[in-house]
Amino acid sequence: MMMFPKDDGAEVPGGKVPSQLRQWPIQLHLVSPEAPYFQGADVVLAADCVPFAMGDFHNAYLKGKALAIACPKLDGDQEIYLEKIRGLIEDAKINSLTVTIMQVPCCRGLLGLAMQAMKASSRKVPVKSVVVSLQGEVLQEEWAAV
Amino acid sequence: MEKYLRTPIKEIIGKHPQVGALLEEYRIGCVPCSVGTCLLADIVEIHNLSPEDEGALMTRIAGIVSPGQVVALPEPRNRRPEATRKFSYSPPMKALVEEHRQIKRFLDVLPAVINRVDARSEADRDLVRDSLDFIRSYADRFHHAKEEDILFACFDPGLDILKAMREDHERGRAHVRAAGEALARCDGEGIAWNLHGYAEVLREHIKKEDEILYPWMDRNLSMRQVGELFARFRAVDERFAENRKKYESFVGRLEDAYSETISEVR
Repeated sequence: MMMFPKDDGAEVPGGKVPSQLRQWPIQLHLVSPEAPYFQGADVVLAADCVPFAMGDFHNAYLKGKALAIACPKLDGDQEIYLEKIRGLIEDAKINSLTVTIMQVPCCRGLLGLAMQAMKASSRKVPVKSVVVSLQGEVLQEEWAAV
Repeated sequence: MEKYLRTPIKEIIGKHPQVGALLEEYRIGCVPCSVGTCLLADIVEIHNLSPEDEGALMTRIAGIVSPGQVVALPEPRNRRPEATRKFSYSPPMKALVEEHRQIKRFLDVLPAVINRVDARSEADRDLVRDSLDFIRSYADRFHHAKEEDILFACFDPGLDILKAMREDHERGRAHVRAAGEALARCDGEGIAWNLHGYAEVLREHIKKEDEILYPWMDRNLSMRQVGELFARFRAVDERFAENRKKYESFVGRLEDAYSETISEVR
């Protein structure tokens, strides 16, 4: 267990911060690659914890993109995930994929799933991986080999 | 300092040649650039110096352009922390860099080819024709067209750095045209002079693109643009697939034929 000291009064932007979410549902088991919001979209595949860890996730990564979330450690039936992501690449013909994960080793599994799905797909798209620290800082942003 | 930030770099180097030497020290090679209309502010942005280096560079430039005066320096721009600035080309840029690798293989063997060409020999003239065909088809119609028609279109066409790159392309094309004309006259010296000139332009041009232009573009492209570029480049690649194999194997054959003399004449 870890606790992070925070100053509740610090760096709070004035006014309400609008959500950048453009769709529902978002959980990877629930979304369909046939949904209109995925067609030709730039998609973010986020590990469940990332949007909670990262204060500006909506503006920094979600803005203008479609979203799917999953936990590579706890979620079951991950073969279905593999097929869903392949469906996004091949059938929904998404334009790009950004995989945002936490720095913990088990989170790498989500990037691994995305790359496996890409390998299984005849179509290819650019994939960017973003690794986020437990306190929401971006530790690494890099392009995965397509 | 604000006035100097909005001044073309060549103008500053013209008045204060020490600035040119200083930029060289920071591996910002503006001195040999033929266009040189980029503003000092653009140069600093394009080269993505760390805030520390940017501050130090600005202080030293201020010391040269306004010696003995207290100059208000601009705040270094907010950039992501060092750890996240680890550089890797996006997939479409990586594809262009791979094409550069093929062109550089050709440029590496070209001096050995030129060295042995006898303009009176039909076989040698055929070899020059094939070399010009590689340049025109692979380097220019395939690779440079991807840049000019697709990649550069993502940016403001008036950007000085793009003007400089287009000018390099034109200088290369002028050498190739002149080499073709020399070939028609069986003028060995003209062929050699222009092919050497082409190689010189392209080597420097590729270095600028790989090390400065593409990383800067990658920092400024959105995910949407990267995805679209990737798809459009792949469509071009598919149309050119057969030719690509042909030209890459041509370079391989040249390397095999001239392997012993490549290092001697470079």
